[in-house]
Amino acid sequence: MKTPELSACHELETLLPAYVERSLPAAEAQRVAAHLPTCLSCQLQVTQLRALTDDLDAALPEVPRTALRANFMALLEQEKQLLKPAVAPAAPVQPEAKEAKMVSMWPTALANGWMRIAASIVLIAAGVLLGRNLSWKDGESSSVATNAKPAPAELAQSMRQASASDRIQLVSNTSKQTEPGDPTVQVLLNTLNFDASPNVRLAACEALYRLREDPQVREGLVHSLSIQTDPNVQITLIDMVVAMRVRRAVPQLEKLSKRADALPVVRAQAEAGIGKLI
Amino acid sequence: MAAVRADDLDQLVPLFERYHGPLFNYLTRLTNDRETGEDLTQTVFERILKYRSSYQPTQPFKAWVYQMARNVHADYWQRQQKLRAADADVEDVERTGALRGAAFSQMRVSNHHDDLHEALNLLPAPQREILVLNRFQGFGYEEIGQLLGCTAEAARVKAHRALQALRKIYFAN
Repeated sequence: MKTPELSACHELETLLPAYVERSLPAAEAQRVAAHLPTCLSCQLQVTQLRALTDDLDAALPEVPRTALRANFMALLEQEKQLLKPAVAPAAPVQPEAKEAKMVSMWPTALANGWMRIAASIVLIAAGVLLGRNLSWKDGESSSVATNAKPAPAELAQSMRQASASDRIQLVSNTSKQTEPGDPTVQVLLNTLNFDASPNVRLAACEALYRLREDPQVREGLVHSLSIQTDPNVQITLIDMVVAMRVRRAVPQLEKLSKRADALPVVRAQAEAGIGKLI
Repeated sequence: MAAVRADDLDQLVPLFERYHGPLFNYLTRLTNDRETGEDLTQTVFERILKYRSSYQPTQPFKAWVYQMARNVHADYWQRQQKLRAADADVEDVERTGALRGAAFSQMRVSNHHDDLHEALNLLPAPQREILVLNRFQGFGYEEIGQLLGCTAEAARVKAHRALQALRKIYFAN
């Protein structure tokens, strides 16, 4: 009596994932459906598979840190620079080469010496040229570095002028040195709400999270939820208000979960956030 | 991608925006470490730039980039194996590395998802990969088959076996 049951189970076991997934052909699905009421172990398996599938579907995607994007942009910039100099240094080399040809009439030993000097001139010239081409970059990054501890007013000023990647650096520099209660929080909140680049806004999020002790931060984040339209920023904000347990954010999250222009993943995240907060 | 191939590098930015999240997820789940996931994602894009001329415009970009991600992961795995063989202390280094990366991620994990990830990590790598592709990356069996070099039907069977194996681990206690 038991043996045929067991072998039936064994055979049907391989079909259960497809059964749960509803991808079985009708005939086989019926066989499984007929077998299930008689077999506790297979019932348990189906329940577990369903729970597992739900948990897998509910698992949140991991969100990379903004550093990944910044690194990529730096890499891309570097690669572009590599493409450019292939054209640039060719120009200054030619006149120098003429000079080298002229001295080649001299006795060999001397010519070798001149050749060496000429070669070094070419190298230096190319170096200067490259240095000039690239110097704007060094200049700016060093200005970022020297501004290690900017006053909020200066920070706000430089935020208006710098490029996106410098703004990211400024934002992340700031928060390392500020204490809660600092007016910098206001600057960061302004950045979060009004900066044109979502990457800078994300960096501001991370910076604000480190200053989460400040009551302004909680208030500002809730307010910002209604402003943001970039899905990355939206999801980060939702995560942050959930992690900081800001209950006041619930009405905003409800609005967000119903917003027609938000991505489905954002709406789902907002709903999940509400569930965790209330 | 065809434009990137012709050295119009700015065209890679939208591709990055679209694929870096999924690739990061894929690599993080395969390695079970966010920091490694980020490093390997970075490597994938480095290789895209480096080998852009080898891209065939007839090929779907998604298939190409995932193939590259698989290779990057395989290289990483082999390197790890060698390191492990050479020096047992490496595991300590790995652990501290993972701790550093957890700083920002810690705010998003709940115990429940930890259980699921732990169970996933106990699966043999090929089974984990197939589930990650199927469940987290939204790959159909057809696509998985193409990536792994088998038929869609074989991919389906493998995915179901992997799901059963995961069920056994997940509900073991």
